[in-house]
Amino acid sequence: MARGVVVSATNGKRRELWREIVRRRWAYVFISPFYILFLGFGFLPVIFSVYLSFHKWKGLGPMEFVGLKNFTYLFGIGGKAFWQSIQNGIILFFMYVPIMTFLALVLAVILNSKLVRFFQGYRTMIFAPYVTSMIAAGFTFGLMLQQKGGLFNTFLNMLGLPGVPWLEDIWWARVSLCLLVTWGWLGYNMVIMLAGLQTIPRELTEAALIDGASPVQAFFYITIPLLRPVILFSVILSTMGSFGLFNEVQALTGGGPMRATLTTMVHIYNVAFGNFRFGRASAQGYVYFALIFVFTLLQLRYFGREE
Amino acid sequence: MSHKHILYKMTTMIILGVIAITACGPAATPAAEVVEVTRIVEGETITEYVEVTPTPLPEAEKPTGKIVLWGWTAAIRDTIEAAGIIEDFNAEYPDIEVEIQYYGPSDVYINLPLALTAGEGAPDVCLVENSHLSEYVHLGGLLDLTDMLQPYLDNIVEYKMFDCEKDGKYYCMPWDGGPVVMYYRRDVFEAAGLPTDPAEVSATIATWDDYLAACRTIKEETGNYCFAHNKANNYARLYEMVLWQQGLGYYDPDTGEVTVDSPENIATLEMLGQFWEEDLVSDSLEWTDPWYAELAAMESPIIATLIEASWMDIFMKSWIAPGTGGKWGVAHMPAYEEGGARASNDGGSVFVIPEQTKNPDAAWAFVEFVLGRDRSVLRMFAISGFIPSLKSSYDDALFLAGDSFFAGQNVNSVYADVNAKIPRAGVYGPNYAMMNGSVSVAIQLYATGEMTAEDALREAAAEIRAGLE
Amino acid sequence: MAILLTRVRSLGVRALLYGLLTFIAVFMMLPFIWMLRTSLMPQGEIFGSPPILISRNMSLDGYHYIVENGVLRSLWNTFFVAFSTTALSLFFCSLGGYGFAKHHFPGRNPLFAFLLATMIIPGAVTMVPTYVIMTKLKWLDTFRPLIVPGVANAFGIFFMRQYISTISDELLDAARIDGCGEFGIFWRIILPICVPGLTSLGLIFFMGAWNNYLGPLIYLRSSEKFTLPLFMMQMTGPPGYSLYREWMGVAVLSVVPLLVIFLFFQRRFTEGITAGAIKG
Repeated sequence: MARGVVVSATNGKRRELWREIVRRRWAYVFISPFYILFLGFGFLPVIFSVYLSFHKWKGLGPMEFVGLKNFTYLFGIGGKAFWQSIQNGIILFFMYVPIMTFLALVLAVILNSKLVRFFQGYRTMIFAPYVTSMIAAGFTFGLMLQQKGGLFNTFLNMLGLPGVPWLEDIWWARVSLCLLVTWGWLGYNMVIMLAGLQTIPRELTEAALIDGASPVQAFFYITIPLLRPVILFSVILSTMGSFGLFNEVQALTGGGPMRATLTTMVHIYNVAFGNFRFGRASAQGYVYFALIFVFTLLQLRYFGREE
Repeated sequence: MSHKHILYKMTTMIILGVIAITACGPAATPAAEVVEVTRIVEGETITEYVEVTPTPLPEAEKPTGKIVLWGWTAAIRDTIEAAGIIEDFNAEYPDIEVEIQYYGPSDVYINLPLALTAGEGAPDVCLVENSHLSEYVHLGGLLDLTDMLQPYLDNIVEYKMFDCEKDGKYYCMPWDGGPVVMYYRRDVFEAAGLPTDPAEVSATIATWDDYLAACRTIKEETGNYCFAHNKANNYARLYEMVLWQQGLGYYDPDTGEVTVDSPENIATLEMLGQFWEEDLVSDSLEWTDPWYAELAAMESPIIATLIEASWMDIFMKSWIAPGTGGKWGVAHMPAYEEGGARASNDGGSVFVIPEQTKNPDAAWAFVEFVLGRDRSVLRMFAISGFIPSLKSSYDDALFLAGDSFFAGQNVNSVYADVNAKIPRAGVYGPNYAMMNGSVSVAIQLYATGEMTAEDALREAAAEIRAGLE
Repeated sequence: MAILLTRVRSLGVRALLYGLLTFIAVFMMLPFIWMLRTSLMPQGEIFGSPPILISRNMSLDGYHYIVENGVLRSLWNTFFVAFSTTALSLFFCSLGGYGFAKHHFPGRNPLFAFLLATMIIPGAVTMVPTYVIMTKLKWLDTFRPLIVPGVANAFGIFFMRQYISTISDELLDAARIDGCGEFGIFWRIILPICVPGLTSLGLIFFMGAWNNYLGPLIYLRSSEKFTLPLFMMQMTGPPGYSLYREWMGVAVLSVVPLLVIFLFFQRRFTEGITAGAIKG
């Protein structure tokens, strides 16, 4: 008897649900383009990529099933370039993210204070690089960093210092890439910090200063903690950025010298469209995805757990 | 004999004669032609008249339609077009329209393979360097030209067909070769107390050991660099030339085995390393401004020698170092060891026809016209120094002329001589890009002192072997 | 925050702050200046020592290359792709955003969470298979692969949803009572109100499409379809003659339109950026 009641109640609920869906059909129509496109250009590629990663294929002709070979390849000598690119991503991350984030924060603080005039002007100038094509910027930096005759070295020479092998040395090339990336992204990060700063109520810092804290202390113990979400956002974006650098690398260094500035995105592109190993590229894409995911989770954990 | 009989006989003879003339021998062969040829010497364009014997016209019905040609400006615009070949082509094939799209070599190597694998977007004729040819032949998607090539095969220098062959079929029509010689500065040699006459230079610097000694002399006596060999951005070109002359390479052409870390390959790299160790070579990277400056210089620092292919001379004459006319000479490159080959290859290019072409007849007509006829290849050679692969063309007067840029030396004959002696080697091949990539990194690591030659090459070899699976 | 620094009145510290700001600003402006200056300079003077900013030999000669070599065509292609992407994306993203913001329907929250989750997938994973799909669709060497996939994207929908959710419900109810159909509400009421948000988002889309390099690199084949970033990377001249001046000219061309748009719409731009970050 009870069962019958439950069944009819469930049926009743289902009918309710269906009526609701029909009533709200327009909403589904409106949101459908995303899901349709995602199906074709998001979901399908993701699944196909899994399939491909177990095959060897050069884009033309038959696909050859190779099982886990593409993955074990990464753990042998063949994976050298891939792991180098991951290592580069990490190195680059630590080379520019802390400095850039801190600098963005400091600049935002300075601009936010009413201490300095020309707020608009400075903000515009610092933000402008963000809208620039990194290909154009990369080329320009390449010219300026040229060892013989480039602007930077000529300037150093004028100061009596020797020129720097900006693009010929492993570490200097990384520095050059970081310079380019910082140039392009500092303004963006500064602007979001500025917005974040504006959400911090004055009274908090006022109270701290009245209590005898120095400005620097207030900065470190109040401002930064309150800005944590924004800082975290900035850092996470920069993480994905440092592994995914493509335009910048192609325009400035091509990945060299000796693979010092090879990022994972460039490497996977090379494997796919340079060596025509589509299966291998798919497998590497997934390993890369997994690593990024973990790295990001770690950051969320680390930043999320502070005082 | 009756009149009828004689008439009958004469008619028969006339008919037979006509048949004989039209069927046997080349159809419509004109006598040797005199063509006007322009060349660039020391930045100036001079016009000459050269006698050229053309090859016969094909007999099939003439194709029509439009074809798209991809290639780089130095070869297409500044050579084919500048020599008037397109006009000549259209004179013979008025209904074929040739549309040209310029791409630099590296861009051809991005776009062509993508188009081949996608099955669409490829041109009808594409210019490809020998280094990348084998890769595309093995990738698939190129038109099999074996049948059309039959009449030409005997006339083509052997080593050019090696990279375009697969399973007994041919997929390209060769254009120019890359016979490697040693360019040297007579003025620097004189100042260093070395001979300046090409024959003497070739005799004095007969092996790489001799070369090392000569380089030390040049450094001591004049303070100039012997040649340019960059460390950090080295892309293995010189190394490949030295491997090639020994018949070595990245792989064994017979067995397919990777030989990147063979004892001979390691020894070759170490031999080149000596020049770095003794600081005898400039660190300028080829094809960059500092390199051009050192080649064109009249006072230190000058690069005294350059081991490079014959196509280099037109670049030097026209825009790299036009002001150094009369100061250069051409000698044979040193042999690796006593008695070894003094010939190697660097570069060279071919035309390929992608299978997806909608107009294979017109495409082949173009390829055949431009590269299958002495007249065309010689005119292009005169302008750009792209040495033809057609052996019959070497009979031409161009190969007897002296060149004032080289103080009157007959350099073309040296090129032709070297071209015929290039050994078989496993440098290019279906996986050249990957092999060159790994080995370049190895050389860079060795040159900058990060690893020993053996370790660097072993790692590169392991990487390559893994990558080939 | 301002309060912290108003305490600092000493001239020295102020000078330091100005100094830092100016140093950074100069560093930011330097490449632009350099780009412009190199594009106007004859080859020999580009790498002079000491470096020259303005030379008597400056001319627009380098820009002839732009007219002669299909650069203007590239510029048009870039503009076309950017504009199409932006217009279509704005339409579909605001549609989706409206759907999520103002409608309560079964499965709304899970569906939205799913949408957000898809933002994690990096391009490296989808790059190769998407290329294969485009090959099968015969969309190679057209602009379609550059425009279509991103037309309804997660970021845009998320952004517009936030924006639209601030619109009062009464307005919509009134319209419904008046007999306005759902799509009509969207078109005639929501969109006009959203213009500021649409501008911000549109600027972000436009900029992204304009500067996109990987997409054109993979999908475009014939040189007459190239967009500016691709064109720049594939520019060739006579071998070895590095077209520094002409390169910089094309670079200037690719940078100026966006800079102009940015200067004009500065406020909207920064609003768009910050909205994504703060509410994210």
